[in-house]
Amino acid sequence: MRSPKPYAQAAPLRPLLAKEVREILGGRSLWTMLLLLCPLIGYSFYQAVSLYSESSSAALQSPALATSLSPLDGILVPTLGSFYVAVTLLFPFVAIRVLGQEKESGALRLLVQLPYRIPTLVMLKLVAVVLAWLLASLPALSALVVWRVLGGHLSFAETSNLLFGHLLYGTLVGALSLFAASIAESAATAAIVALAVTIGSWVLDFTVAGQPGFLAWIAKLSLTQTLRPFEEGLLSGGLLLGIAGMIGGLVAVASVWLPPGVSLGQKIRHSVACVLAIAAILGAATQTVWSVDVTEDRRNSFAAVDRQLLATLKLPLVISVRLAPEDPRYADLLRNVLSKLERTMPNVSISLAGSRHYATGSSDESYGQIEYSYGTRSDVSRSTSPREILPLIYELAGVSRPPPMPAHEYPGYPLVTGANVALLWFFGVLPLLIALCWWRSRRPRRADFHPVHEGGPS
Amino acid sequence: MPAVGPYPLLRVDGLTKRYGAELAIYDAAFAAFPGEILGIIGPNGAGKTTLMETVTGLASADSGEVLWRGELLPVARRRNSLFYLPDGVRPYQDQVTADVVSFFAGVYRRSAAEVDAILSSVGLSSVLHKRVGALSKGYNRRLLLSLGLLTPHELLLMDEPFDGFDLRQTRNIIAVLRHHAERGRTFVLAIHQLADAERICDRFILLAGGQVRGSGTLEELRETTSLPSGSLEEIFLALT
Repeated sequence: MRSPKPYAQAAPLRPLLAKEVREILGGRSLWTMLLLLCPLIGYSFYQAVSLYSESSSAALQSPALATSLSPLDGILVPTLGSFYVAVTLLFPFVAIRVLGQEKESGALRLLVQLPYRIPTLVMLKLVAVVLAWLLASLPALSALVVWRVLGGHLSFAETSNLLFGHLLYGTLVGALSLFAASIAESAATAAIVALAVTIGSWVLDFTVAGQPGFLAWIAKLSLTQTLRPFEEGLLSGGLLLGIAGMIGGLVAVASVWLPPGVSLGQKIRHSVACVLAIAAILGAATQTVWSVDVTEDRRNSFAAVDRQLLATLKLPLVISVRLAPEDPRYADLLRNVLSKLERTMPNVSISLAGSRHYATGSSDESYGQIEYSYGTRSDVSRSTSPREILPLIYELAGVSRPPPMPAHEYPGYPLVTGANVALLWFFGVLPLLIALCWWRSRRPRRADFHPVHEGGPS
Repeated sequence: MPAVGPYPLLRVDGLTKRYGAELAIYDAAFAAFPGEILGIIGPNGAGKTTLMETVTGLASADSGEVLWRGELLPVARRRNSLFYLPDGVRPYQDQVTADVVSFFAGVYRRSAAEVDAILSSVGLSSVLHKRVGALSKGYNRRLLLSLGLLTPHELLLMDEPFDGFDLRQTRNIIAVLRHHAERGRTFVLAIHQLADAERICDRFILLAGGQVRGSGTLEELRETTSLPSGSLEEIFLALT
């Protein structure tokens, strides 16, 4: 007696990927998004260059002012910020199409019979979505080219790190969209589900970001948080693990819900297992402290001699901050000292002591105090500067402060220039090129048949 | 009619499918033998589509089993043996017809000669440059038929394969299916047009209200119903 042929073992992936790419390029949503991105990114870039140029005019007279001019903050983050908005609001419509169309047309019933495992089908759809994201990023990438043509400086590490962050964010939105399309009956419903999560993330950010305790943990689940470390010039291992876990989890849950003919109970059981796995990965991600400061001005790191000494302090450093989360001093302290200590020392715990009782400008005398405890010793400071806090910590640890070493000074990159040429590019040439490509992709072509693979039947 | 071996290629036993309180299929049983064309006959709403989707695993069954050459065939392995062409599908409307054919040919590693032969036999060659969304109902049906014939499966299930064809076109497609059946492929066709079914099928499963009311060749059914010269339509009315 013969068993059925295992066609699934030898099915080539190339025709499937080619079909997915054709499907995403064949729709209007990607081209429409590309056309909308041109003025959106163009205007953001123009504004960013204008402001940077104004600041540079003053900085040219003062080298001290010039050190504060970084293209990462002045050009890259605001320009790619508009791309982030577009990816959040428009990209779900592009990504949902690769699955939603097949569900609505009934082609899904053909697809799931092909000799591919369901996770393979979903993964290749995600690959097609990432390729679509790469295409959609062309206006943003062209802004970087224009910046270089204007004479601007770009740090390779900062730029590639930020672009990588946007790629991860785009992939996350794509995976979320595929998940939404897998559980929803129609593309419209899937879009509502995906936008509810992406826009809900913004709401989370506005309402609970900066709050202590559980609310802070909830705020960290916001999708918009994924880009912040990259915008600050950090490559964080925990964040990478968390995003990879979320993307993998969404693909897994989408694979559970995609195939017809599986009972609801079975889908729910498998989904719960996936959610538990995602939670475990996110839990591991929160415990991963490895990160790299890729900024040219090393803004996220102490001086090298301080880093080396702080890394040798093995006892727990407990920091109790008596500040309201929305107090600007807390933001300064976090940026200048606390986040750097967390990255450098092996054992640091930070708490906002009694923050519920504090409002900005509290009349409590202890408000504004920061208590540092190391081993059996502790001390209090109100400073937010590492110049005062590091000696305090060294004194608590009983070590002498290392002598300062001469280090490379960040020069800053002021540039006085106009960006009118960018307006011509983003509002004229680039949209025309995109429209031309769209038109060419829709043109009827020869009807010759070219099979992807030659050979006999398997 | 091809020779019927000791084991049917496909055997369905006691298949039952409910949608909530509604019983869509009840205790359905039938067999398909190698190289035959088996017709599942019934009016609209008889349960033909549900039966085919349940057999292929695209819809979950409440009870019953599917056997392949006498061995139990789990849902996860059914796509290795069966391929089902649903009715009313217009796949990948924004893609050019040639690309959709190329996709299936690539997946199953079909040679250009094999593809050309299939496209010529079903009469799809003249519209390969058109987008699927621009195809007429008949040409869309030819596209689906091409996709089904490009698969290497021994058994093809097709839902209303002649819907959208006129009489001449139906006869042509019947000839194509018969050609493939003679080369060993088995077809299970859900058909509501009894005249079409009578022209092409070797055996019939008569389905009404989700239940199998009769099965066999036309001669066997005539004998069962004591209608020695009865048409399939008369037999169906007698049994349901």
